[in-house]
Amino acid sequence: MTVSRSEVAGSTIARVTGLTKEFRSAGGEVLAVADVDLEVRQREFLSLCGPSGCGKSTLLSMLGGLTPPTRGEVVIDGEPLAGPSRDIGMMFQTPVLFPWRTTLQNVLLPIEVFGKRPADHKDRARELLGMVGLEEFVDAYPWQLSGGMQQRAALCRVLLYDPKLLLLDEPFGALDEFTREAMDLELLRIWSETAKTIVFVTHNINEAVFMSDRVAVMTPRPGRVVSVLDIPLPRPRERQLMRTKEFADLVFEARSLLGVA
Amino acid sequence: MSATARLLGRRWAGRGSPALIGLGTVAVLLLAWELAPRVGLVSRVTVPTPTDTLRGFVQLVSGGYWLGHLRSTLIAVLAAFVLGSTAGFTLGTVLGISPFVRRVITPYVIALQALPKVVLAPLLIGWLGFGTPSKIAVATAICFFPVWVNTMVGLSLPGADEFRLMASLRASRWRVFRMLQLPSALPMVLVGLKHALLLAFTGVLVAEILAGSAGGLGQLAESFAYQLLMPLAFAVVTLVILIAVALVTLVDRLEHRIVFWTRPEGADER
Amino acid sequence: MSVAAPSRPGLRRPARRLRRLRIPAPAVSIALLPLLVAAWFLATESGAVSRILLPPPEAVARAVPRVLQAPAFQRNLVRTVTEILTGYALGSLIGFSLGLLLGSSTRLRRAYLPFLSAFDAIPTIILAPLIIAWFGFGLAGKTVQAAIACFYAVFITTLSGLSLADPDAVTLMRSLRASPWQILVKLRIPSALPAIFGGLQIGATLAIIGAIVSEFVAADAGLGFMMVRYRSSFNTAAVFVLILIFLLLGLASYLLLQFAQRKIVFWRHPDLIHPESST
Repeated sequence: MTVSRSEVAGSTIARVTGLTKEFRSAGGEVLAVADVDLEVRQREFLSLCGPSGCGKSTLLSMLGGLTPPTRGEVVIDGEPLAGPSRDIGMMFQTPVLFPWRTTLQNVLLPIEVFGKRPADHKDRARELLGMVGLEEFVDAYPWQLSGGMQQRAALCRVLLYDPKLLLLDEPFGALDEFTREAMDLELLRIWSETAKTIVFVTHNINEAVFMSDRVAVMTPRPGRVVSVLDIPLPRPRERQLMRTKEFADLVFEARSLLGVA
Repeated sequence: MSATARLLGRRWAGRGSPALIGLGTVAVLLLAWELAPRVGLVSRVTVPTPTDTLRGFVQLVSGGYWLGHLRSTLIAVLAAFVLGSTAGFTLGTVLGISPFVRRVITPYVIALQALPKVVLAPLLIGWLGFGTPSKIAVATAICFFPVWVNTMVGLSLPGADEFRLMASLRASRWRVFRMLQLPSALPMVLVGLKHALLLAFTGVLVAEILAGSAGGLGQLAESFAYQLLMPLAFAVVTLVILIAVALVTLVDRLEHRIVFWTRPEGADER
Repeated sequence: MSVAAPSRPGLRRPARRLRRLRIPAPAVSIALLPLLVAAWFLATESGAVSRILLPPPEAVARAVPRVLQAPAFQRNLVRTVTEILTGYALGSLIGFSLGLLLGSSTRLRRAYLPFLSAFDAIPTIILAPLIIAWFGFGLAGKTVQAAIACFYAVFITTLSGLSLADPDAVTLMRSLRASPWQILVKLRIPSALPAIFGGLQIGATLAIIGAIVSEFVAADAGLGFMMVRYRSSFNTAAVFVLILIFLLLGLASYLLLQFAQRKIVFWRHPDLIHPESST
């Protein structure tokens, strides 16, 4: 499959207009995100990339309905967003598995919160855990799993209830480089198999270019989306891709947008 | 406890509903307490109203003898605290410096922690009689433990890396103690001292209640209650509570000052 | 069990020599016991300490069966244990419920916490004469005393424990649109359990002390009551036996709670020696 995904016309699943977030702190008012317009297309892999403090996490949080914007609006599937939604799944830098629950019970947590019967979803949960290679650890407790394994379980948790949109906030940032690369490839595999829409936050430009169909480059103070790069690289993405001229050019372009070329 | 300390130290400027709810509830409870005995819900003999208690307070203070008892209690508390903390700190240092000794006595420490120290009271009273010495002995025995245990735990806080650093600097044993173990132990020791002061107070009261002729506020409360002179008994109990709150506030303030200088890490960790 | 630790500078000589002999610490601990008993025996045998004050080891050993087989012993034991258990259950339940209530409502917490914090300072022992005047010498008074003694510890640890939940976990629950009740039950309470058990451990000690002190003041039954009786008749050996029994009682409650904690809060390790909680 060498057709780039971004060429496939996808309808917009999420749109953000004039999104602004101000925080009031001891030193005055901090403008975390300033006037961002962004659209997220169906089934695409979109990265928000920028240095620390550029507001990408805040933007993601607003996209997920966890943080109310100061100005502007978020529209998901045609409906303005007023709060967290069960159509949106979020993953954070820490896996946040509850230590008193087994892996399986942790994956089933959202089902319990929604008031549905966990028993009905056990099979699907096991299937997902098998898909990420955790079938042996279904009844293990979080402290028995490595960081990478815990994040894989967290991924299953967010996939189980089939949200339309996945928002991932530097999910592999706390892992060592080798594990992170493996997890990135894993994520891409799952994404291609499940046809989800993913918005991925990272400060790692290489990672952003490697993973995405488009990269929204953000600069800090105040947080702004400077530009959205199209990444027309062929899929499935493989490691060798990182040695190609096209890849290097795209990374260079992103870096110059950030002023660190 | 610092919440109440802050409350006492700050002028309450009518900050909105939580204050109203809190104070309002207290006011309602006070009213209920005042009315219930009058109305006959509870016997006024056994449960005096707040105004009865106030009258008992006046009676107590005008009697004059209360000062002697107050002094007796406070002196005993001070003596027990000084004795207990000195002994606790000394023993804790002697036993706590060496990790080997610490490991050896750990089961005994656990056993001693499991023993409710108050059960030593009859024994000590039997040995030292009913007067002041047994009072101080009981309170010392009780308030010695927090300082002892905390000193030992505090001295064991530095990790292997810190000791290796001192060894690489060829520090003498005394230097290692003074410059590494002692400062690390200080926050824990201070917490132990805080508990010791309050326990000394409790210990003195227990001994006073048990040993009739030792004098003191505990004995007063006991004999008033025994004779069903409840307004007076309530007055003494209120006085004890006020002293306790004052002690805790004082300790909190002191701790704030000292803590500010020593920057403890994990001092109150459980 | 082996000797631990890498080499440490400036260890005291005897300790270093023992370590070179590779004698493990637990062995020394156990060896200490007969040494202490021997010292005790010598002290009383030589007359250095009066036998009236400190009965020799044999006297205490002989007193053990006499105390245990005394007609009232079992009744008194059951009485004291009942007082403690009932008072502890009552005080802990009230403390836990109050902690839960204040923990789920910021407004209630802000309203009542300053007043409830004052409880921490009150030496509940001073209420003993009053409680006995109200409830008499019997079981009820001791139960109330024990309940009042332990309630605050359980309350404050429940309250503070509920705020220990991982903020990221709270965010996760919010992203799932969990109700405040769900967040409380599924997240905050389990997160609070280690702290609550800490409070239960302290509360147990305090409840035991409350019951015992109340029995010392005035009672019609119980182990404390027995002890006062023995002391007034100068039966110091029996007093020692009862002290040992109280020690076993304290150890039993400590071990039971540790066991319960290991089972219920299976994801955390409890501490061995509790600093600052010695009473």
